[in-house]
Amino acid sequence: MEILTEKQPQPIQTVKDEKTVSPWQEAWKSFRKNKLAMVGAGIVLFFILVGIFAPLLAPQGINEQAMAKRLQPPSSQHWFGTDDFGRDIFSRVVFGARISLWVGFFSVIASMAAGCLLGIVAGYYGKWVDAVISRIFDIMLAFPSILLAIAIVAVLGPSLQNALIAIAIINIPNFGRLIRSRVLSVKEEEYIMAARAVGMKDSRILFRHVLPNSMAPIIVQGTLAIATAIIEAAALGFLGLGAEAPNPEWGKMLSDAKQFMIEAPWTMIFPGLAIMLTVLGFNLMGDGFRDALDPRMKN
Amino acid sequence: MKKQLGLKLMALILILSMGIAGCSKSSSGGTKNEGEKGGSGGGTLVFARGGDSESLDPAVTTEGESFKVTENVYETLINFGEQDTEIEPGLAEKWEESADGLKHTLKLRKGVKFHDGTDFNAEAVVFNFERWKAGNKERFYYYNSQFGDVIKEVKAVDEHTVEFTLNRVLAPFYKNLAMSPFAIASPAAVEKHGGKFTENPVGTGPFKFKEWKRNDKVTIVKNENYWKKGLPKLDSVIFRVIPENSARLNALNTGEVDLIDGVNFSDVKSIEKNDKLQTFFRPSLNVAYLGLNNERGPLKDKKVRQALNYAVDKKALVDAFYAGAAEPAVNPMPKTVAGYNDAVKDYEYDPEKAKQLLKEAGYEDGFEIELWAMPVARPYMPDGKKVAEAIQANFEKVGVKSKIVSFEWPTYLEKARKGEADAFLLGWTGDNGDADNFLYVLLDEDSIGSNNYAYYKNPKVHELFTKAQSTNDQGEREKLYKEAQEIIKDDAPWVPLVHSKPALAGKAEITGYKAHPTGSDLLSNVEMKK
Repeated sequence: MEILTEKQPQPIQTVKDEKTVSPWQEAWKSFRKNKLAMVGAGIVLFFILVGIFAPLLAPQGINEQAMAKRLQPPSSQHWFGTDDFGRDIFSRVVFGARISLWVGFFSVIASMAAGCLLGIVAGYYGKWVDAVISRIFDIMLAFPSILLAIAIVAVLGPSLQNALIAIAIINIPNFGRLIRSRVLSVKEEEYIMAARAVGMKDSRILFRHVLPNSMAPIIVQGTLAIATAIIEAAALGFLGLGAEAPNPEWGKMLSDAKQFMIEAPWTMIFPGLAIMLTVLGFNLMGDGFRDALDPRMKN
Repeated sequence: MKKQLGLKLMALILILSMGIAGCSKSSSGGTKNEGEKGGSGGGTLVFARGGDSESLDPAVTTEGESFKVTENVYETLINFGEQDTEIEPGLAEKWEESADGLKHTLKLRKGVKFHDGTDFNAEAVVFNFERWKAGNKERFYYYNSQFGDVIKEVKAVDEHTVEFTLNRVLAPFYKNLAMSPFAIASPAAVEKHGGKFTENPVGTGPFKFKEWKRNDKVTIVKNENYWKKGLPKLDSVIFRVIPENSARLNALNTGEVDLIDGVNFSDVKSIEKNDKLQTFFRPSLNVAYLGLNNERGPLKDKKVRQALNYAVDKKALVDAFYAGAAEPAVNPMPKTVAGYNDAVKDYEYDPEKAKQLLKEAGYEDGFEIELWAMPVARPYMPDGKKVAEAIQANFEKVGVKSKIVSFEWPTYLEKARKGEADAFLLGWTGDNGDADNFLYVLLDEDSIGSNNYAYYKNPKVHELFTKAQSTNDQGEREKLYKEAQEIIKDDAPWVPLVHSKPALAGKAEITGYKAHPTGSDLLSNVEMKK
């Protein structure tokens, strides 16, 4: 959390200098040097491509049942074996990438948007606005996040979309608190003071100056949050509160497979591996971003 | 300061919960010890099942887990066969029927005593029937549904003779008498315990009630004065509750329990491979079906319902979810029930034919329905959600889209009863093996609002059912039921799915255990081989 209060090099806005490298470019350079981060990014890119080209990659549809071929071990015909409905697990895992990434990206974008807005307002205006918003965040953080998600889904009714909404909601306070602390330090900066002194409107200050200068930690947090969101979606699916049949959501596949764990372990291993790899990818990438964007890590 | 208080509170809760966990552990340990102590004679059988009994007075319940216990504590006037629903002498040794079928005279067994030492006699029988008749209709559900308006009078002719006078002929009269809810209780005990009789059962059966710990176990012990000499062979039986199927199987594997019901069909293979265990299959007296609400949307159309019948691949369901221990259902009742119509032909699995019928009905582009999946495992439906998923895929092939929904079990039944479901999975286990107990109960218009969840109505069928109820001529009844089955097949109010043979498993030492089709097993012949 220390990075939040660290001061970043101030963006160069005044004098135009051809040789100047923007901090973003600099960050990208150091990110590229980080091997683990590149591996993470590679994994993420791989799954994104798998998701996009799922219909081309998957030999079968997601729900082509063939009872006669149920619970077959991996073979040249069914690379990941078949499940208890005789469906091709490889195809289902491939299509499952779409669902997990979709939930991951969109829930994080939603919570990022809501969290940033609330956090900026709380941090910039302070006083009672800050008190109210911060206490709400505290209350939400007091719940174990998955429990809160279960409660929200229970109210909305189980479906993939509601799981996405629930995951988005439970992640709002993380972004909110992050941005609030960022705003608290940024708003004391001279350039903000200057902006105020020249009579700039609040909204312009907030969105043109404060927000862009708080982007770095948000990107880091956002990448890591996608990993958590994917796990949370899988957990909800496992509990029967996420994707509906016959959608091949990875968590749901795990839950459907658990009674064949001994008899047909492949029904569990491949969706499990898929979850593990994507989450690992996002985590490595997030760590890489953090290192790259953290000024203290610069040599 | 506040923080500290919170911490202390947390610690207190933790300690308390540990204490509770400790208690439950020691009590289950106690179970084991009792079993070992009683090992001098026939030993103790620990029978684990999925749910607790609702009441130990069989007259006031409709729930199967209750009958599992009461079957061994009480006896009925007439018994079912060991593994079928043929009638045999029970507390009544002989019986006679008048020519018009309205008077039945039963000769009772002599020298039988209740567990409290009072005599079993004609007075006791009359007392029981009067108690059921005088009672609240909801409370004595079975009496009212089976005998309610039929029994006019029950009279004690002498010490060991009872005479029943009926208002109208009731074909399954003796089969009904053999049902667990019509077991004879000790009048003295009923009067003594009053409202608490449900927790203090006293009958004439092979076992006496000892104790009942709610949601944990019921213990019954050997009745030393049982009228059948040499029985029961066991010293005691403990009925334990282990809700989760896999946890129950695990308890059997570790030797904590001796016999379990509700075995997942998918586990049967591995149990059979294990030398220390054996499997039992209950003869089928059930049906699992996909009800199609005859009053909702496209399902109103007979052609659509027939199309859905063609669309479902039952054979695949049997192989996948019942490990073969079931057969595809053609009629609403299993083959063992007298009156089953063998000539009825099933709608073969034929998606093309289904599509064609849908086209004829004007649903060429299909339609969308809700598909309700049972949230609980039942012997006839081991995994509702998976069966629903398979049927969903079947329907999709013919262009019918379905959304799988599920509710908590009581809500599920309640909503389905109110007719809120389009297509829903359900099933039925027979009470007495009579056709009336399947066809009339599940598909007569009188049963709408109770067990006719499909809202099926056909005046012709209603007429056949009523006729069959009021004749005593078995041949005639069978003819009527056969005709009804043909009409029902054509109307297609359901997709009948399977008749399953529910699986049980026990230690290899168990001998003499016979699983009864009704689901309530008499355990007097069971022995633990050493």
